[in-house]
Amino acid sequence: MTLSYLPRLLCISLATFFLVHLALGMGVALIARPAARLGERIRPHLAARCLLVLRLLPAAGAAFIVVAVCLPSYLWLEPEAPTERVGFGCLSVALLGTAMWSISIARGLRAAAGSRRFLRNCQRAGRPTRLPGEHTDVWIVDSTAPLLALGGIVRPRLIISRGVASALSAEQLAAALRHERAHWTARDNLKRLCILLTPSILPFAGGSRTLERGWRKFAERAADDRAVSGSAHRSVALAAALVRVARMTADAGDTDALAERVDRLLREAPPSPAPQPMLALSGILLIAASLAVAILQPAALYSVHVALEHLVE
Amino acid sequence: MQDALGHLEFRVMEVLWAHGESNVHDVVQRLGRPLAYTTVMTTLDRLFKKDLLVRRKSERAFLYAPRRTRQEWERKRAGDFVAGFLASPQASGDLLISSLVDAVGQYDTALLDELEKKIRTKRRELGRRGKI
Repeated sequence: MTLSYLPRLLCISLATFFLVHLALGMGVALIARPAARLGERIRPHLAARCLLVLRLLPAAGAAFIVVAVCLPSYLWLEPEAPTERVGFGCLSVALLGTAMWSISIARGLRAAAGSRRFLRNCQRAGRPTRLPGEHTDVWIVDSTAPLLALGGIVRPRLIISRGVASALSAEQLAAALRHERAHWTARDNLKRLCILLTPSILPFAGGSRTLERGWRKFAERAADDRAVSGSAHRSVALAAALVRVARMTADAGDTDALAERVDRLLREAPPSPAPQPMLALSGILLIAASLAVAILQPAALYSVHVALEHLVE
Repeated sequence: MQDALGHLEFRVMEVLWAHGESNVHDVVQRLGRPLAYTTVMTTLDRLFKKDLLVRRKSERAFLYAPRRTRQEWERKRAGDFVAGFLASPQASGDLLISSLVDAVGQYDTALLDELEKKIRTKRRELGRRGKI
């Protein structure tokens, strides 16, 4: 098939993204389980951060290669020939890249729409209430459902059902709200959206489950730590709140996660993680910038261009 | 909210919320579109069976009135949605929601009894140390 300059660039970008993503994804899939096990031996907020980075790495790495390597190489070295033939292989891989992105974007949009609907209904069914000792309003929903949640990204809302509000003592409720507020501080809902919007580490084959489950587990533990902040008193209150809310659920099921969390809270009063704002992000940006500078050399760009020519053919 | 009721059912509810207790003839007049008397009567009967209306007999006709105000009805609908959503198997797994319930999942009573026992023991221990 012959394509003009810009469609060809789009085709090459999608194909490169897919191939780099696949290569990085296979590497990440190999270390996912050991990384999740290693997470048990470090502080939960660090473990959650590592697993999140691994989950996003294939897509972030592939995007970096496309933007920092392929685009400059193509724009500087590709002659502006009106049309050029693009091989079947390149087109097929570009189509796979398109499909991969379509699936993840659809998943992200579905999650955003579902969350919006859920929050809208919570607000219709509830009333904003200022609980004693709280600085912000909490939406209390007139329901006996075991609901205690933080919903939304831009303007997150704390939502509790009347059933939960009356089942918990004042100190248990305060501990549970601190836990949800810790998710707010950690921007966990935004991270959830990033995970949903990012293609699976092995396209069309999943492979992200271990990392996502691990991230959720350690994010919960990190929120526990922030809620407790080293206080034995709050630790016991939060453990009691977890058990009390769990008792409100109807069916029997998996028991490990709850037992682990409660045991952890009773064993120690975990200290709150020290804030390290922007440190990790600054490091990543620095590494990316150094890599980009190293790659943007004429010889490197020429080699990339030759590789892209092979891909197109 | 309208999707919980059929279009005509919702219009009938709107008429009753706006005008209060009415008989079939009044509702037909206020709907603002030509509908058979029997169609509206059937719709009112269906809404009564759905427990959305109350009715009483006045002479030979029934008078219908909404059981809840529109605000109460919308709140109840939203509450039902939230409860139904939480009971569904996928719950908040694929949503942008951090939920304590999602975090703890669903558990058997024996385990919860065991955990509560541990919590009581810890409380006593902390109490003895004077921390609680």
